[in-house]
Amino acid sequence: MGAALSRIRHTRGFDLVKPLSITTLVVVMLPLILLPLASIFIFGTSNGLASFWAALSAPEAIFALKLSIVTSFWATVFNVLFGLFAAYVLSKYNFWGRNALIVIISLPTAIPTAVAGFALLLLWGPYGTLGRLLEPNDIHIMFTASAIILANIFVTFPLAFGVIKPVFETMSHSLEEASATMGATRWQTFWHVTLPSLRGAIVGGALLTFARAVGEFGSTILVSGNLASRTQTAPLYIFAKFNEGQVEAANAIAIVLALFSFAIFSILFFARDWLEAD
Amino acid sequence: MKSRTRFASCIIFIGLLLTGACLPGAPSDNAGSITITVYGFSIMKEVMEKEIYPAFAAKWKREHGVDIGFVSSFAGSETVTNQILQGAPADLAILSIDRDAERLAEGKATTSDWHAYPNQGVVNKTPFVILVRKGNPEGIRDFPDLAKPGIRLIHPDPVSSGGAQWSILAIYGSELKKSEAETGTQDTVRALNTLQSIWKNVISTPGSAREARTQFETGYGDALITYELEGLLMKAENAEVDMVIPKSTIFSEHPVVVIDRNVKGPKRPIVDAFVKYLWTDEAQKIFVKYHFHSVTNEAFNNENKAFAVIAQPFTIEMFGGWPRAYPEIIEKIFREQVQGKK
Repeated sequence: MGAALSRIRHTRGFDLVKPLSITTLVVVMLPLILLPLASIFIFGTSNGLASFWAALSAPEAIFALKLSIVTSFWATVFNVLFGLFAAYVLSKYNFWGRNALIVIISLPTAIPTAVAGFALLLLWGPYGTLGRLLEPNDIHIMFTASAIILANIFVTFPLAFGVIKPVFETMSHSLEEASATMGATRWQTFWHVTLPSLRGAIVGGALLTFARAVGEFGSTILVSGNLASRTQTAPLYIFAKFNEGQVEAANAIAIVLALFSFAIFSILFFARDWLEAD
Repeated sequence: MKSRTRFASCIIFIGLLLTGACLPGAPSDNAGSITITVYGFSIMKEVMEKEIYPAFAAKWKREHGVDIGFVSSFAGSETVTNQILQGAPADLAILSIDRDAERLAEGKATTSDWHAYPNQGVVNKTPFVILVRKGNPEGIRDFPDLAKPGIRLIHPDPVSSGGAQWSILAIYGSELKKSEAETGTQDTVRALNTLQSIWKNVISTPGSAREARTQFETGYGDALITYELEGLLMKAENAEVDMVIPKSTIFSEHPVVVIDRNVKGPKRPIVDAFVKYLWTDEAQKIFVKYHFHSVTNEAFNNENKAFAVIAQPFTIEMFGGWPRAYPEIIEKIFREQVQGKK
């Protein structure tokens, strides 16, 4: 087959493999990704833009989007700072248990998000190991926005770390060493030498974390309490509206999230090279 | 190049800061200073949000000059109960089945006796019916017809939904009731057989009655067993469905409980007043308007011309109440002899 194709290619002087493989790629993606996404947009605009806009500007919908953004933002801030710190420590020092730590940081990738949710409940819930101690002091963590942030941190824990660490490891240490020999303190070296070369990885890790957190569902449904205009994030809103039979309302927010994801990954794609190119 | 890069990262960083941190984390209680949190089973949503909350808030404002607001979450009755047991901040719960109220009491979430409220704590009721596609192409007239080979039935999941448990009791009890009318004794073998063969036709078990309805509405399945009001709400939206009224069926009864664990201080009198309000003529008439049957006054029910007439109705009392119905029918009959044998 390969030989036949390459013969065609050479005899006709035309690269047939290229259009064929691109077509195959699109055809495979069509029923799996492209058409399902397209149907969200088709359904969303089928009743006219006015009803789409009405669904989108419902106070509960706006609140859900805001809550998703705020909780994802704080989870991102934490995970990027932590990822940066963890990558720094783990690539600079070699110590007993280092590999175990790396594996543990990566664990949330394979743990079902629902498990993340009830694990948090088992710890922080009113009957949880720690929650039981907080409850008498009237400190509630579960079923508040803090619970959503904790859940987001848990499920996106390895993402920023995963992006930053390889860059750390492949970084040329000669610059750092040069900086040190020139009399810079550790902090100065980190701030002026190490950090600038990580800019791309940090932005990339942050966007990835943020995008994943905004779409988080499995853990939030368990820990948030799902109260409209209170602890209902955008994915929970979509789920609630779909279950109530208000598919249009669900769909409007789904469109926003799809566009949002598109924007984030476009930034990721274009801005990263740009940031690293100096 | 360098300055451009720095500029870009600044813009992205500031942009993130603005979208993220500057928005309020906690929502504004635009309804006022005191907010009552209600957790309810799935089908209570419309009537509560559209009429009961505004009506009570207006009444309270009139009588006490204070603004109150409501927030709520609706899901399957068992799901709601589990959330509250895990610590969800509900002030009161409206549940599909009394067993869930019992579970809240066992979990110490509620310490007051809801059976001391009017009507044993039951705020409204509704019979269980069958929904089929427009024109009833499968010719379904009663529960046993759902056992016919090839019927694809949607039935909520009794693990998470109270409505699903009512539905099981409706099928089983309806066969008992009819056999009693025909022969004088309740035929438990016939009831079990019907339940078993109907369950073989179940193609999907969604988490709540409302989820089941959404699935049915999106074109899945030939039939759905659900609360009468779901059918009437669908009819009001001109959905392409017909309602089949079984000869004999159960009236589900929905209790309200105060979650004493969470209701503290100045909230208490308001929550108590709200609970009492649910049995006033005003609230009961609102329930009837939204196709729930009133429990306080049958005359209100005559106002709703859409209500079905059921030849041989029955209630949970036929099984000796929930404390007996749950272990004897849901666990022993359904779980062990129907689900276990599927």
